[in-house]
Amino acid sequence: MNGTHRGLNRALLGVLGMVLVAAGAITILAGTNPAFARRWTTAGADVWAGVQDSLAAAKIPGADISWWSVGVLAALVIVAVLLVCWIASQGTGRSNQLASQDNDTGKTTVDTAVAAHAIKAALTDNTHVLAASVQSWNNKSWNNKSRKNTGAVANSGLKISIQTRKGASPVEVMAAVDHLVEGLDQLLGFRLPVLVRIKAGTRTLFARTERVA
Amino acid sequence: MRDEQAREARIINRLNVRETRSSRAVVSIVVAALLLVAALWLALELVLSTTLNAPVFMNPAELAQRLASLGTQALPGALVAVGVAAALLGIFLLAMAVLPGTKARQAIANNRSAVVVDNAVLAAALSRTARTAARLAPEQVTTSVSRKRIDVSVHPSSGRAVDTEHIRESVAREVTFYGLRKPLTVGVTTSTAVAS
Repeated sequence: MNGTHRGLNRALLGVLGMVLVAAGAITILAGTNPAFARRWTTAGADVWAGVQDSLAAAKIPGADISWWSVGVLAALVIVAVLLVCWIASQGTGRSNQLASQDNDTGKTTVDTAVAAHAIKAALTDNTHVLAASVQSWNNKSWNNKSRKNTGAVANSGLKISIQTRKGASPVEVMAAVDHLVEGLDQLLGFRLPVLVRIKAGTRTLFARTERVA
Repeated sequence: MRDEQAREARIINRLNVRETRSSRAVVSIVVAALLLVAALWLALELVLSTTLNAPVFMNPAELAQRLASLGTQALPGALVAVGVAAALLGIFLLAMAVLPGTKARQAIANNRSAVVVDNAVLAAALSRTARTAARLAPEQVTTSVSRKRIDVSVHPSSGRAVDTEHIRESVAREVTFYGLRKPLTVGVTTSTAVAS
């Protein structure tokens, strides 16, 4: 779980897909229809002549460079920076704090490690569970207004991943985790958004199968 | 209080959707990286040509001229091949944008948390249910969980009769007990192994 902008990913991929489909269609048409190919070349020659005129018209005084070239270079650099931002936005939003509270006496924060230690310790004796891991993530859209009276700012969500023994009932694992989440709610004094993932992993493959129904 | 509950239900729904669907992060990173290489190459060629240096592959003016006359200069067959490749890649990206990208996971109804279970975990648990119902050994039952179906296949030792309907009922009862958000239909098939 993280703050990846999934809508943005899909929108950009969709736009690029449409551009590629359109370009592909035009190229196929030029390959199959000689008249269209000739029109492409005449139109291309006209456009290129126009571009050369504008390049010549906007010369930087004292140099053999056009302002247009500088503009295109700046545009390319901006596009490159935006692309780097797009790559960097994937998988963002991890945090290591569950909650923080600011008041007159100071700032109090609860680290994710508190929940992680408690949950892992509570699940060590559970035979259905092979391994547990806990992460938290930031998300501003989950700011809870009703918490204002306590002054707590808890923008975090908690993800609990459980690797189960092969054959373990997911509902029993869920009940155990529910119990822990209830305890955490009481400890913190408010309810965080919680995501529970019950999964199979490499340890599931190699551990003994759950035999008792 | 009711507002609070509705809000939590919305959050849980959203978490379930996010966790059972692909974020398209990998495709996005690959596409962005390719575009980045292209943009940086164009910028480099532009700088090289304005400083009167030799181009790496082709200077921008030559590139523009070639593109402008591509319709008549290139072989028609090559144009069609490149066009088909571009269109297929475009259709792939459009599909990535539009299709839900469902992962092999199921959401379980829960009032407090968003609970998402791997299909493999469900399959293992249901295999156990089926083999306890039919009194078989662990290797004699395999289960696969897909987006809409649960398929239990039972391989009893030769000479032993298995009550398929009984297995189907026990598995269906167990699945109902799990409370999956999207109900799955249960199918049981039997094939006899020549064995022990």
